Amino acid sequence: MGTKIILRLLIVAILWLGLGILKGVGKFNETLVAPAVLLTLIMVVGVVLEHLLHYQGDPFLLPTVQAIVTVGLVFLVRIRSDLAWRQFWWASLGLAVFYLLLWGIRDYRRLGRFQYLWGLAALILLVVTLIFGFASHGATSWIRVGPFTVEPEELVKVALLLFLASYLSEHEELLRVGTVQWGRLSLPDFRTLGPFLLMAAVSLGLLAAQKSLGTALVFYSLFVLLLYAVTNRLLYLGVAVPVFLATGWVGYLLFGHVQVRVAAWLNPWKDIAHGGYQIAQSLFAISGGGILGTGLGNGIGAFQVPEASTDFIFAVIAEELGFAGAMAVLCLFLIVVFRAFAVSMKTVDRFGQILTAGIGILIGTEALVILTGVTKLLPLTGLPLPWVSYGGSSMLVHFMLLGFLANVSHNSTVSTQLTSREREYAT
Amino acid sequence: MMQGLRRVALGLAFSFLILGLGLVYWQVWRAEALQNHPANRRLILLEDRVKRGGIFDRNGEILAQTQVTGGKKTRVYPKGEAFEPMVGYATLQHGSAGLEGALGDWLLGVKDATFTQQLQQVFNLPRQGNDAVLTIDARIQLAASAALKGKQGAAVAIDPRNGDVLALVSEPGFNPDGLDQNWKTISTQAGSPFRNHAFSLFPPGSTMKVVTSLALFRAGINTTELYDCEGSTIVRGQAIHEQNDKAHGWVNYNLALADSCNTYFATYAEKAGTDKFLAAAKAFGFGQSIPLELSVPQSSLTKTEALPAKLDATLLPASAFGQGEVMVSPFHMALIAAGIANQGVIMQPHVVERVLGEDGKPVYTSPVEPWLTAMSKDEAAKITSGMITAVNEGTASPGALPDAQVAAKTGSAEPGGDVPTHAWYIAFAPAEAPRIAVAVLVENGGTGGGAAAPIARQMIQSALSRK
Repeated sequence: MGTKIILRLLIVAILWLGLGILKGVGKFNETLVAPAVLLTLIMVVGVVLEHLLHYQGDPFLLPTVQAIVTVGLVFLVRIRSDLAWRQFWWASLGLAVFYLLLWGIRDYRRLGRFQYLWGLAALILLVVTLIFGFASHGATSWIRVGPFTVEPEELVKVALLLFLASYLSEHEELLRVGTVQWGRLSLPDFRTLGPFLLMAAVSLGLLAAQKSLGTALVFYSLFVLLLYAVTNRLLYLGVAVPVFLATGWVGYLLFGHVQVRVAAWLNPWKDIAHGGYQIAQSLFAISGGGILGTGLGNGIGAFQVPEASTDFIFAVIAEELGFAGAMAVLCLFLIVVFRAFAVSMKTVDRFGQILTAGIGILIGTEALVILTGVTKLLPLTGLPLPWVSYGGSSMLVHFMLLGFLANVSHNSTVSTQLTSREREYAT
Repeated sequence: MMQGLRRVALGLAFSFLILGLGLVYWQVWRAEALQNHPANRRLILLEDRVKRGGIFDRNGEILAQTQVTGGKKTRVYPKGEAFEPMVGYATLQHGSAGLEGALGDWLLGVKDATFTQQLQQVFNLPRQGNDAVLTIDARIQLAASAALKGKQGAAVAIDPRNGDVLALVSEPGFNPDGLDQNWKTISTQAGSPFRNHAFSLFPPGSTMKVVTSLALFRAGINTTELYDCEGSTIVRGQAIHEQNDKAHGWVNYNLALADSCNTYFATYAEKAGTDKFLAAAKAFGFGQSIPLELSVPQSSLTKTEALPAKLDATLLPASAFGQGEVMVSPFHMALIAAGIANQGVIMQPHVVERVLGEDGKPVYTSPVEPWLTAMSKDEAAKITSGMITAVNEGTASPGALPDAQVAAKTGSAEPGGDVPTHAWYIAFAPAEAPRIAVAVLVENGGTGGGAAAPIARQMIQSALSRK
């Protein structure tokens, strides 16, 4: 209880200290006080509820994510104080969704029963986006629902993870051992691997058609890494990596927008006014931060870097908090990923194991894909940084994933405690 | 499952590590290089919080200053147009250029920031940048600017003893006050006022002969030998003409330089050979980047290569008197004059004398050091003697002064096409102990003696009238 409270106090302190500094430099908008107070209240009520309802799951998952969310909110206020109130609402709603999933799902294993329903849902969402979606920043990833614009590919992540977890837990043995002998290799037969390949091909194809390259890359990594993690067979990696490189090469040859991206990646300075503009401005901001940063509210990236509130928010963080702050944010993400893996390893049932491992892999690859893009380690493919970038769909979906994670963690701890207690009685 | 997941975890951790190293690369390793990238607007945007330091001439005359009235900062340029585009500008809308741009990090107090400045930076407090004191002498600058007014060209004055740039004029200039409003008019104006003509490349014409002279000396050509100039000759199948085909008669080296005899230099350069010519050009700094706070383009001998390893022999005769494909900036021409004046040693040029911190103490002082040793003392004396003859009885006589011996060389360079020649004049004075070296270029101004020499004379007069 003590650690829990200290962690939450720290997070609340980060939030209000950040907002206080922003007020000092005149970048705080008074209308943000109410949503910030609401979020603080939800965090405080949450920790009390966790205590009262005997939450037994991983104690660091939620605080770490809350720290990430808080940093993101402070920077969103700094970058776009006019939009920040929405993000406060999304974060509050996200926390509510988290607690709802944590305590609302009695037995998460039942989610695994609708294997093909999840798969179908994922594909339908993608098709709907492709048909009714509108393009923004080069990708057709948004649809309009009433007053909101929704990014369905975020929701697809949930459906896809549930599909993968139930499918892989069912076919794990066959995928690992294989039933067809091909030379010295034993491969799984097509009836086992078919649904997986079909799902992968169709979803990636649909994403490519939407020009949503970042999400496609994340999904591909998720399919491959999860399959590898479950089966521990290097064969799958050995096939997946060349296939990826070949697809990338063909995509480069066929599509103009891919060539533009790659050219901007290889030498952003050459065409600094157009193709290389985003990445050059991002690097100017990041490098301007130095080791300790320019200080909150002090950088130029916030208005100089395009998409500073979404894809490039990390450049602004790295500028104003410096290398120290940027590394801290990286570490927070790494902690979330590793806690997810820890939950997976402690869980007894296959479905829970694979689901939580998948969530960890998804969050890890999402962070890596956008952050390597922003820092020019890899070509840039637009993607929101989970919990940080502006956007309701991403915020809610990632809190949903965190909810599943906490639920599995809580239930597996409780059940292991029960079984050990039962054993005690038996002796 | 466990083992596969462990490996994935390891892989992800490794990827995050690479990402961290990427941050080190950008935020520590490449940080300074990116801060100085011309497309980086950080310095300009810092403007908001910093009172930009002033720019002063060597005698403390204000060239640029930020005035704060009622919390509103305005950059004023009391001397106006005569100092543009050298001083340059810094506006939020159009970025920065000239010294305002090149010295931006000093003026904003972010380069080698003092402890106080660093603290103020971290806490976002208003702060004061550093002041820059230039080596420019406003009186020479104004004299040159007034003399060049209405024409198009450049005038540069350098103290040959230490490399101090005393004047750096480019016409047309522009009015730096209220630049944002007048931007469009100025940028479309004829003669490109934003471009510093002293840093643009032009064919040097006969001023090049001082460089060719060195090649002749090095080839061991007897400078007392007489040559019969008939007004035109043929070298390597090319017809070489004197200006207006005027025959100079029997000339030795001194008279050839004084009368600017093209056939003499073409003929003897052919004898000296391309290697000697290339070596002489290299000694004077062709094909080398010129160290200055502002960026100066390299002077070049051919269109494709600034300093080729081998020169096409057919290019040599015309190159010997500064035609062909030879291109030089007026600033470099002033350095060449300064090198001859300083007994063969070209001092490293600088336009900033020192940078002063908030307390008025220097935080940076320009070093006085040689840039190139172009030639020996004797070789410099021989060229000087020819340049003196040029002033006393040759083409450079319009630059003569009654009370000081001037050494000079004219040039009338054909820019190609049916337009008047570019008028060049390089000079230094007093010839026995030079204190000023100048290069003047009047674009399409006619002959060097007619158009450029009077401007150089006024600059030299202005410099020598004091002390």
